[in-house]
Amino acid sequence: MGTCIQTSHLTKRYGAILAVDNLTFEVQTGEVVDLLGLNGAGKSTTLYMLTGLVRPTAGSISIFGKDLHRNFLSISPLIGVLVERPAFYDYLTARENLKLCARLARREVTVDRALDRVGLLSAKRRKVGGFSTGMRQRLGLAQALLLEPSLLILDEPTNGLDPEGTSEVLALLRQLADEAQVTILISSHMLHEVEGLCDRVAIIHEGRLLSCERTDALLSYDERHVEVLIDAPESAAKRLEEQPWVESVEMRAGRLEVVLRDENAHQLAVFLFAAGYRVTGVIPRQRTLQDYFLKVLNR
Amino acid sequence: MIARIWTAYRFELDKAARRRFTYLGVVLIVIAVASALLIRPVSRDSEADYAFIAYATPIALNLLGLLVLVTYCAGLVSTELGSGSICLALVRPLRRHEFLIAKLLLGMTYAAMLTAAVATIAWVIPLAFGDLTGVTYGGETVFTATDMTAAYLFGALLALAPQGAVAAYAIMISTLTRSTGAAIGSAVGILLMLDIVKYPLRIAPFVFSTYIETPWRVFTSYCDGLDANWFPDTAYVLVNSVVYTVVFTAIAILSLSRRDLHT
Repeated sequence: MGTCIQTSHLTKRYGAILAVDNLTFEVQTGEVVDLLGLNGAGKSTTLYMLTGLVRPTAGSISIFGKDLHRNFLSISPLIGVLVERPAFYDYLTARENLKLCARLARREVTVDRALDRVGLLSAKRRKVGGFSTGMRQRLGLAQALLLEPSLLILDEPTNGLDPEGTSEVLALLRQLADEAQVTILISSHMLHEVEGLCDRVAIIHEGRLLSCERTDALLSYDERHVEVLIDAPESAAKRLEEQPWVESVEMRAGRLEVVLRDENAHQLAVFLFAAGYRVTGVIPRQRTLQDYFLKVLNR
Repeated sequence: MIARIWTAYRFELDKAARRRFTYLGVVLIVIAVASALLIRPVSRDSEADYAFIAYATPIALNLLGLLVLVTYCAGLVSTELGSGSICLALVRPLRRHEFLIAKLLLGMTYAAMLTAAVATIAWVIPLAFGDLTGVTYGGETVFTATDMTAAYLFGALLALAPQGAVAAYAIMISTLTRSTGAAIGSAVGILLMLDIVKYPLRIAPFVFSTYIETPWRVFTSYCDGLDANWFPDTAYVLVNSVVYTVVFTAIAILSLSRRDLHT
């Protein structure tokens, strides 16, 4: 697995505003990476710089081992881009829009295959001016997938899609990464979507990269926060509160929510069994991306 | 680079062919030519019929045609900047200057189309209802029908040069704003302003719009039975137009190259 994207000290300044500040990161081939951050954090600007639509103030971008700006003409056919709120020529049909895009890349491609992948084949002869937001988004994805790219750069890919469309698109993206080794760099606020799709999550705040971690590591179980299913919760709560290794106990809907001083759910289970309770479950809470995101941002 | 510009130019042609305004502009100037009949009717009198052509052509092409061309070209880039559709093209293997040159070629093609439409109607009407046998004076033929046709055709070809400069000017304005309305308003407004101030300020010989009517002078003189020379006017028209086309295009390229294309 080689490096697909490499940025070095990437900086973008809009007048007095520093949108992206000295950003250095790498994305490996076949990885799915999400740029996560608050509004105005610099995610979209970073993505746009990677597509050549926005010029960096400083720093460099290397894609497939080549400098993007020096080799734009050879690199761009390998990249599929979906910008936020994709725009098309409204007076043309979906099919005509994609055919024009393919013509610009001077490639013979099956436009219908791209439309079929995003579920727009039946609307191929409709003018884009009459498309809903979700349909435009799907067409944007079809346009990004049109040339069978090795790298996809997608800004809010599920924006405007209904739940069914969202899950179809996420499944398609995961499939592309797994089966065709397509590298995908996305920007999405939908944390639950990102959790299932991305291999790594990069958190950007005020233009700076705060963290870039593997998603599976971030979503591990938190053995400090434990949910206990037990036959006598009130009595068990009293006993647990007396233990020095227990920070707090709360009863909620007949269950105990226990916060331990250390990550040691095993000790809790052993204690409850030894005390003679009928325990049906000791469930450590799974960490969420939201927890991690807020922790990184110190919120 | 030429292959990419050619591809982008065909891309632009395909889009233009599907836009209503492309045809609306042509229809408007055709109506303008036909309307000239109200002032200079054709009458199976060769002089009067050539006079109709000499009157209708500049009216249609240099007044309304100019406005149509400026409006059309001023919307070429600004519309795409405003909607964000420019991103569709510029994430493909195409440099920004190539994209702009393709737009300029489209603008020039449109100018040629307008000229061809005006010329066709301006000649078809007198050919059908008038008499185009040359210009006579005192019963003697001063300019034959061939002389007149050649003068008109050369004028039409020469007119493409200042029209190209006008197209480049409007495209330059178009790269400066995302708003199509602002681009069209500015392009037309500045052009009108220049026409008002260029003579009092004595800068008319250096302004590109001054030469828009020059290509038709010889034909107009012939219509009046007067001889006229193509030179040095032709040289002025060509040099001025080429210089301005290059300058406007360079400014447009510079402007678009420096622009960050957020949607």
